[in-house]
Parts: sequence; structure tokens; C-alpha cells
Amino acid sequence: MAYNVKEDGNIATVYLDGEIDMDVTDKAKELIMPLIEAKKEVHLNLKDVQYMDSSGISVLIESHQKAMELGTKVILKEISKSVLKVIMMAKLEQILNLE
Amino acid sequence: MNLSESKDFIVNSGSLKDVRLFSRDVFEKLNLDKNLKEELVLAIAEAAQNIVKHAYKGIEDTDDKMQIKISLNDNKLEIGFFDKGKPVVEENIQHRQLDDIKPGGLGTFFINQIMDDVVFKKDQKKWVNHLVLTKNLSNN
Repeated sequence: MAYNVKEDGNIATVYLDGEIDMDVTDKAKELIMPLIEAKKEVHLNLKDVQYMDSSGISVLIESHQKAMELGTKVILKEISKSVLKVIMMAKLEQILNLE
Repeated sequence: MNLSESKDFIVNSGSLKDVRLFSRDVFEKLNLDKNLKEELVLAIAEAAQNIVKHAYKGIEDTDDKMQIKISLNDNKLEIGFFDKGKPVVEENIQHRQLDDIKPGGLGTFFINQIMDDVVFKKDQKKWVNHLVLTKNLSNN
């Protein structure tokens, strides 16, 4: 998994690239959680994520819940077809913020 | 087309990428629909992840291997997972309720959604756990 972060005011956009599985979830959390804890609105751009498994979905849920707890939000942007399919399989399309 | 291929993988999370590569290679030979192929790869990767996460829970560094065997006979796809971890207690395996939104517990749910049957067999002396996932490809 590769990534790139761009910050503009209170919005941090995280561009994730590659496959997100159990092997990289710690890395993903270490990247996303501090931004949420800094109360940034986090935009996760998932257009270049070709694969995500249940571990990756757990990171999305955890990030979403942490953001809600701290009064900010995580928005999933440009979700790739394969990731959207997994989100829908988990019936999370109404729970997570999808754009 | 009938086929049977198997491969051993070291039991750790770093092997999951290789598990997906192996699965994709096998399914490429079967000329499966792209969506179905990716669903099956997800099911296999989730089952392999469960071995790393649960059968080898608390064991960080191991040289143990798990074996994955993909077979197709008369359009029935059978995927076997063999490991030497802690014995699986089937009663303890349950996916979380979907309306209970929390991280974790989705892998088994995905496997059950994608496959027709998920069975633990007690037929192996060489291995501790033997999970068999099946799917009838005639229905797709």
C-alpha cells in the first residue's frame, strides 16, 4: 500500500494506492487515526485501491466511528468499483460517508 | 475443464498477497467472469486470514505452512485449506450481525456470502484443520 496526504485547512485528503489487507491495516491506521485525532475532516480517496478485504473495511469502520466520536468526519471519495462492492457486501453504504 | 492446484504458504499476514496471486493465477486458467473471480479471491484470502488470525493467534513468528488447494471437477469448485494451528472450535465461529456496526467479524460473513458451502472436515492426520469451501459454478 502506498499513500499520499494533502492537507488544505482543516481537510486532510489521504490518497491510498494498492491492496489493503491485514498486512497493511496497522500502517493505514497509523496514517489515518492521528489526522482524525487532530480533528481534521479526513477524505479517503480510494480510486487506486484495487482490493480491500474485511481488515480494510474494519479500518474504515474504526475511522468513521472515531471521527464521529470526536465531532469530525471521514468521507470516502472516488471509491473504486472493487472496494465499493465489498462495502456493499458488508451493507455499509448507508453507514459510511460515501461520495 | 477439470483442474487441481495447490500451494504452501508460510502462515503470516505477509503471505496473503501471495495467496491472492496464486488464486488469481488459477482462476485465470478457468476463464472465470471477472466479478466472480474477485469474489472467490476475497473468500480465499479471508479464509487464509482466519488461519493467520485465529488458528495461529498469539504466534508471531512461525515457519509453519498452510496449504491451499483449488480443484474444479464437473463445474464444482472446491477450495481446501490445511493448517497445523490450534484446532478450530466450530461453535465459536460466528460472523457478527450486520446491524452491529463494529470493526471485525466480517471475514466469515463474506466467505458465507460468496461460497455455497463451508465445512470443516476431520479427515486429515497430517494437518490439524481442514476447511473446505465449495461453489457450484454451473449456477453462475
